[in-house]
Amino acid sequence: MTRSVKVLIAVAAVIFAVSAVLTFIFFRDRKTDGESVMVEILQDNKVIYTLDLAKEEDRTFRIESADGGWNDVTIEDGQISITDADCSDRTCVKTGRLRSEYVPIICLPHKLVIRYADGEDE
Amino acid sequence: MKLKRLTRLSLLTGASLIMFIIELRFPDILPIPVKLGLANIVTVYAVYRYTAAETTMMLFARIVLGALFSSNLFALIYSFSGAVLCLVGMLLIRKIVPVRFLWLCSIIGAVLHNIGQMAAAVAVTRSLSVLAYLPLLICAGVIAGAFTGICAQLMINRTGKIENSETD
Repeated sequence: MTRSVKVLIAVAAVIFAVSAVLTFIFFRDRKTDGESVMVEILQDNKVIYTLDLAKEEDRTFRIESADGGWNDVTIEDGQISITDADCSDRTCVKTGRLRSEYVPIICLPHKLVIRYADGEDE
Repeated sequence: MKLKRLTRLSLLTGASLIMFIIELRFPDILPIPVKLGLANIVTVYAVYRYTAAETTMMLFARIVLGALFSSNLFALIYSFSGAVLCLVGMLLIRKIVPVRFLWLCSIIGAVLHNIGQMAAAVAVTRSLSVLAYLPLLICAGVIAGAFTGICAQLMINRTGKIENSETD
């Protein structure tokens, strides 16, 4: 085993370990404290909706995309998820409900991002 | 290019295309957008057995045909950005990583592939919040890369004698 191979293996191991720790941190559920739970929906990096999940009633609404596609966003029991979409991979639907503070729900074909907004600024 | 070499490359393209399409039929067990990348077995193999130009041609043919066959042209931008980064990285490190450690090359390639896809996702959504998925994709890349790397290692051990005994 040459030295450069050893270095590469070490680098790969470190990157893997760091990523595993970061994954664990990022995917933890968001702590629910306070009265308002602000969520923002971005399309093409522009905020199109800002919702307070604590106050929103249960409903489903459709977000149309510029290219004719759509996503059905559902709010239920103070939680938000994409329940249907007309894209081919439907990754956003499989993601399920928005849980983590850091990890958003993403629909790549429709450039849609749903994430927690910083409530402190409001 | 000699006919024999061209034929072999076509065969590899076909094999990787079949792997790619079979993998599309796998059920989604995980709620996260990660794949094993079975077609990468052939790519890593080609990186160690063929020239840079030949490997590039084979990979790009596979990606374009794969997108057409799966009728998922939208994913092309991610496939390309991932594949370019992965291929450049693997072609660079094949010089310092001997074939015995091919699995290592595969791991690095898979991680680079996911980083390339992430970069494309950031460019498409123009939102940095997508990057929260990066650590997860790197972890998944290491695991998937190790798996495909070991497969390619087994493949290259078996075909090594045949390829070496035939001069083109």
